[in-house]
Amino acid sequence: MVTREDVENIALLSKLFVPEEELDALTKDMQEIIDFADTINNASESGESFDNINNLSNVFREDEVVESYKSEEILKNAPEQAEQHFLVRNRE
Amino acid sequence: MGTISKIHEMLVSKEISCEELTKSYLKEIENANKELNAYVCVTEEQALTSAKAVDKKIASGVEIGMLEGVPMTLKDNLSTKDIETTCCSKILQGYKPIYDATVWEILKNQNAVLLGKTNMDEFAMGSSCETSCFGGATNPFNTNHCSGGSSGGVASAVGGNIAPYGLGSDTGGSIRQPASFCGIVGLKPTYGAVSRYGLVAYASSLDQIGPITKTVEDASIVYDAISVYDSKDSTSRGKCGANTFDTLNNDIKGMKIGIPKEYYEGIRDDVKEAIFAQFKVLEDLGAEIVHIELPAVKYALPVYYIIACAEASSNLGRYDGIRYGYKTKHYNGTHDMICRTRSEGFGEEVKRRILLGTYVLSAGYYDAYYKKAQNLRGTIISAFNKAFESCDVILAPTVPMTAFEMGHAVSDPIETYLTDICTVPVNIAGLPGISVPCGFNAKGMPIGMQFIGKQFGEAQILNVAYKYQQSAKENFKDTKWGVKL
Repeated sequence: MVTREDVENIALLSKLFVPEEELDALTKDMQEIIDFADTINNASESGESFDNINNLSNVFREDEVVESYKSEEILKNAPEQAEQHFLVRNRE
Repeated sequence: MGTISKIHEMLVSKEISCEELTKSYLKEIENANKELNAYVCVTEEQALTSAKAVDKKIASGVEIGMLEGVPMTLKDNLSTKDIETTCCSKILQGYKPIYDATVWEILKNQNAVLLGKTNMDEFAMGSSCETSCFGGATNPFNTNHCSGGSSGGVASAVGGNIAPYGLGSDTGGSIRQPASFCGIVGLKPTYGAVSRYGLVAYASSLDQIGPITKTVEDASIVYDAISVYDSKDSTSRGKCGANTFDTLNNDIKGMKIGIPKEYYEGIRDDVKEAIFAQFKVLEDLGAEIVHIELPAVKYALPVYYIIACAEASSNLGRYDGIRYGYKTKHYNGTHDMICRTRSEGFGEEVKRRILLGTYVLSAGYYDAYYKKAQNLRGTIISAFNKAFESCDVILAPTVPMTAFEMGHAVSDPIETYLTDICTVPVNIAGLPGISVPCGFNAKGMPIGMQFIGKQFGEAQILNVAYKYQQSAKENFKDTKWGVKL
């Protein structure tokens, strides 16, 4: 059972605001989706566990210095920047 | 039909210059896009510059490659250096990547001519293209119907002849489903065959880039070009075999085509009948139809939504208004800033999937949902392995229905999720699948079917799909739109 409080709590963990007036409709939606997801609990597993999809194993490389991006380039898309850093103000 | 080999021949024989060709596509984009809404960004200047360079090369007598000078498009979740890449989300508007996706780097090095970026469901979350912040792309067979999704813009552009081919991404059917709705070909390669570097992540263990084309031959040409090992994607394996192009025309005599009965339950009659009618075409080519069972696929859809949303909730954590993209105007404290930015920047479907993903990963629910879904993923993979002991390829519907009318998809989330029922098993098992047109319903809307192969079995599914296309050309119909070559 998905409750309003569940949705509020998940929203907080997801860093999303859900307006008060949308909370009931969203709780109902979530309940329907969770009921649908719940159908997997009727399934019997054949015992295989899932590790990864095409038998990949870790790939290691030599720890060599390679060229990377200049900080000006990386900062280019930032909404705000200062002194070669991303700028985060406490309020606006 | 403006296929890759046709365009290549025209360029080589100097029947048309690359600049003229590119201009005719740009002109048709201007005309047709008002109704198709396939492109969200047209890169005219860059396209003409690339075209002129190709013309210069041809004039100097240097031989050109198959994809050289052929115009194309990219779904808007593939990173293009200095060209806006928005995933059709408000939260990424204005974002210009500082690097190219590997697939685009490969094609750019082969002098492909990029016409622009194409429409998609926001962050690839949707089945109709309508969750796009630019509004959905329409279907070139009937613009009252949707293009399908999430790579709806690419499918609409290719079906509408305003791009000869394009690259999309397929997490739960997003290449095959719109290809099916728009009456064209869509190939979702084996997980790991094509580098995902530079593809904006939705669900990383399911996402795969692939071509959307007019013909099977074109899909093979593009797949061969882009399936290359890439050290920048830790799951990259490359092609794992020879070029698929060389074996396209191989005889399929004796090939066993498995028909899993579970895929044909709950499918609309017109779709089912259209596919059943193709068994004879395949048998006439010497293939053997074998009926098989794949009971595990009935859990594929909930497993898909649990895994995809869980991965999405983590992947989309990076949109915080600090490093790139949209940032809210007024706030009080950083938590407030991040929450406002995300709440204002993401659309409804994206928020719904982030919330669902967070739910199934949270304490108390992890075992019942996420862990159980992961275990079932193992069950589904072994079910496919077992099925492939009695057949070489599997034939299934791509979508249980034809393209729905605009506005229909967004009303009911569960009903919309059900449209993915035939496409998601392939992503869960990491297999390759190709959708090809196989007929039309009474209203003239295209119907698609998919050949599913073993891991890295692209050569085999392209081979059978190619032979099928040669014998069923009437199902590969052109639309009234765009450039006629």
